[in-house]
Amino acid sequence: MKFAPRAALLAAWLVCLGLLYVLITHTLVVGTDLRSFMPAPTTPDQKLLMDQVGEGPGSRLLLVAIDGVPEPQLASLSHGLAASLRKQPAYPQVVNGDFDLAALDGQFLFYRYLLSPTLDTTAMDAPFLADQLQQRLDDMASPAASMLKSLLPRDPTLELLKLAERWTPAKSPEVKDGVWFSSKGEALLLVQTKAAGFDPEAQEAAINGIRSAFTALPGSQGAHLLLSGPGYFSVVVNAQTRHEADVIGRISTIGFILLLLVAYRSVTSLLFGALPVATGGLAGIAVMALCFREVHGITLAFGFTLLGVAQEYPIRLLSHRRAGETALASVRGLWPLLMTAIASACIAYLAFYASGVGGLQQLAVFTITGLLAAGLATRYLLPHLLPERARDVATTPGLARLRTFFDELPRPRWLPVPIALAAAAMLYFAPGSFWENNLAALTPLPTDMLMTDARLRGELGAPDVRYLLVLQARDADGVLALSERIEPDIDKLLAGKALDSVELPSRYLPSAATQKARQAKLPDTTALEEMLATGLKGTPFKKDLFAPFVSDVAAARSAPVLTPERFASSPLGQRLSAMLVNRGDHWVGLATLSGVHDADAFAPLAAKTGDAVRLLDLKQASESLVAEYRTRILKALAVATLLLVATIAFALRSFRRAWHVLAPMTLATFMVLAVERVAGIPLSLFHLVSLILAGGLGLHYALFFERDTGDPDEQRRTLHATIVCVLSALLVFGMLAWSSIPVLRAIGLTVSLGVAFHFCISILMAPHASKE
Amino acid sequence: MTMALMLAWTTSSPAAQAPDANALIASLGRPAPARTSFAEARFSSVLDKPLVSSGELAWLGQDQLERRVDAPHKETSTITGDKVTQTREGKSPRSFSLSRAPQLKVLLDSFVALLGGDASRLGEAFTVQLNREGEHWSLALTPTDAKVAKQISRIVVDGQGNEPRCMRMEEGDGDTAIDLLGPLATKMPGEPTREALVALCTGATP
Repeated sequence: MKFAPRAALLAAWLVCLGLLYVLITHTLVVGTDLRSFMPAPTTPDQKLLMDQVGEGPGSRLLLVAIDGVPEPQLASLSHGLAASLRKQPAYPQVVNGDFDLAALDGQFLFYRYLLSPTLDTTAMDAPFLADQLQQRLDDMASPAASMLKSLLPRDPTLELLKLAERWTPAKSPEVKDGVWFSSKGEALLLVQTKAAGFDPEAQEAAINGIRSAFTALPGSQGAHLLLSGPGYFSVVVNAQTRHEADVIGRISTIGFILLLLVAYRSVTSLLFGALPVATGGLAGIAVMALCFREVHGITLAFGFTLLGVAQEYPIRLLSHRRAGETALASVRGLWPLLMTAIASACIAYLAFYASGVGGLQQLAVFTITGLLAAGLATRYLLPHLLPERARDVATTPGLARLRTFFDELPRPRWLPVPIALAAAAMLYFAPGSFWENNLAALTPLPTDMLMTDARLRGELGAPDVRYLLVLQARDADGVLALSERIEPDIDKLLAGKALDSVELPSRYLPSAATQKARQAKLPDTTALEEMLATGLKGTPFKKDLFAPFVSDVAAARSAPVLTPERFASSPLGQRLSAMLVNRGDHWVGLATLSGVHDADAFAPLAAKTGDAVRLLDLKQASESLVAEYRTRILKALAVATLLLVATIAFALRSFRRAWHVLAPMTLATFMVLAVERVAGIPLSLFHLVSLILAGGLGLHYALFFERDTGDPDEQRRTLHATIVCVLSALLVFGMLAWSSIPVLRAIGLTVSLGVAFHFCISILMAPHASKE
Repeated sequence: MTMALMLAWTTSSPAAQAPDANALIASLGRPAPARTSFAEARFSSVLDKPLVSSGELAWLGQDQLERRVDAPHKETSTITGDKVTQTREGKSPRSFSLSRAPQLKVLLDSFVALLGGDASRLGEAFTVQLNREGEHWSLALTPTDAKVAKQISRIVVDGQGNEPRCMRMEEGDGDTAIDLLGPLATKMPGEPTREALVALCTGATP
């Protein structure tokens, strides 16, 4: 092809890529919620887990500590930060020890007689009132006088203080200057975010909001803000992973470019060689963006990893060019084999689509589209761009000797037997557990961060992230009634030290029945006024002082009972709303627990209530979910394997030849598993996905080694292409294997090991090159 | 800026302004534990007539203060650090944070500083003004913290020689508590009025 049409084609291609890019930037919505990468939950506990991962009250809690300046200044910073955050809707709950009576909205003040348990044990009769009035008189003569006197006219029985006491966390840190302080002298706060705990982006926004509110406070210079909690961790892990992946990616890209320059000694080849993968990537994202409402960030990351296979296509084309032959002719010769490789990889990924997991389906759409686009671009577009004349890599110095060396290696037919036996033995004797079920182990946090979290959690009495008490009933009021009913049982558990504290929904709002019972005990206005007059006889209190009290009682007596929906317009009601979840045909109440020492102690409670009250172990539920997820992937893999065998056998029209391709692949895959297991590494989902990528690369090696052209130059070109592929894969994934982040390390190690094993076993099991 | 600094400096440094006051405050110091009986009359907008109580006030050293009421009902309030604990006969003790009751903080500050003879501590929390009239003296303490001053406008301590006789706490809303101290504690009239008590305190013995 002449220069002008080549330039036109290149321009058209680049314009297409540009259009795809524009399309993507306009349609792609990247989600960061980890849940879309989880399988559909099946058991009720798993369903609850999926809601709770990220949305439960515990996981949306951030622990905040301020230090670095003297105590009074810390206290005013704590007050200032709380006041500033309480104004923002992104933080439904901010507590710093300064119990704010305003938390009970003014419009609900008269409801105090229905909310407080006082009337459960006493009647609001003349002796009770007289006693209360006498006590208030004593208060007036005590140091508490000026604190209480403003409450007096409206609330002579001090119901509000009883409620404040009831709503203050059972175990709370030391209060100095009105705010919580840790034993290390830091001011402590608890902030609940509206953002889900495991949505790193939303959490990052919430955390930045806290930081900027803090720096905007006068006197915050020199003070230090310390954050902890699940949301903060997800942000840290996200940033760490991204940072390390970026650094590694940059280094390995440079290495990759250098490698290709050395291999092909042509900058144009290098630049054009990048086009098919770019096309594949963009096409994959574009199709995904069109097919799905939201694309998960993990899909993109995994997808690009898996798409690494596509880099092989241009490499094969570049390596298999011979002097004097046009690129078009070269690609025609290669195409049948390349097509087999592309088709089999696509078929294997199709199995992911059948898995039924949203994230995996996206992954399948992305990789299949990407591989097809990259393959077709290599076949139909790239050859027209490449320069007419190319250096024949068969003449690369040393290549011939290397090929001879490989050819002369002994290739015993029985080789698969010892390899298989070794792999089996290694798998059998490997230490530790086979599977990694703990999601947290893949995204570990620095130990000092975990220690800080445990320390702050202990000091604040903040709820456990692992356990929740689940209360199930037909409606929200049923949950409240159930919560009231189990209060004595919970008190017994608390007394027996099975746990440190619990926050039941009924602590904030009694059930309608209880409220009605309390309402019935309230006297009517005439009776109340009469009793008051008797009680006031002989006291120095002013005559009409308690008129606001009389009108509040009258309001409480006739008001409709307070429902969670109405209560939700106040800050306290918000806290209650976070604990009540509508799950279609029933309601669930979530009571947060702290310091669970004996999870089994809850079993009798579950038995007594017919499982309406049960302890939910989020860790166990998540592990069972991961196990189920893995089962699905394994099933998908099994189906993929069968499809692969069929495709290869069909393409090669021979089971013997298919054996030469598939046997090394299978053996190498098992060797990777065996080596990782012997090294004591439990296998995670990331290992499985990486094994699939390595398998895809191994398939290429085996296919090309198996191809016997009888032409020694062509054999050398095959070797050249394969070595370039192996080196580039080792470069990219070998770098990842050194990462400090287990997810990246899992991917890097598995793929590097895989590439090495696939290469060696493919060579050793390939049929002997026929001698000329 | 300079003006503000100078102002802050002069108000927070009673030593420069009132050497006389410092000498007086130093002379009031007593070794802990120091106890004195009291009789209090409280004039409040929620009350038709003043509420009278009596008992003993004790400074136990550092920031520990005990206020024991013997009449009309037995009650003991203890301030330790940031916590106030109230114990009444036949009731379980009740405690709250000192920060919820700023007037208590003021009481503690003034009391501890006076009994400790600690003029600089007194100067930190209050603007101190001394008036003398013959044998009699009167220390007016105005809280420096504007938030506190809103609730407690000032405390006036009256005395003779090195003996405080009265403590008058004037609250922001007009309520007043007048405590007769030491020997004067027995002199509480049956139906006290503000005027009569002030006269008693300033030594104009009827």
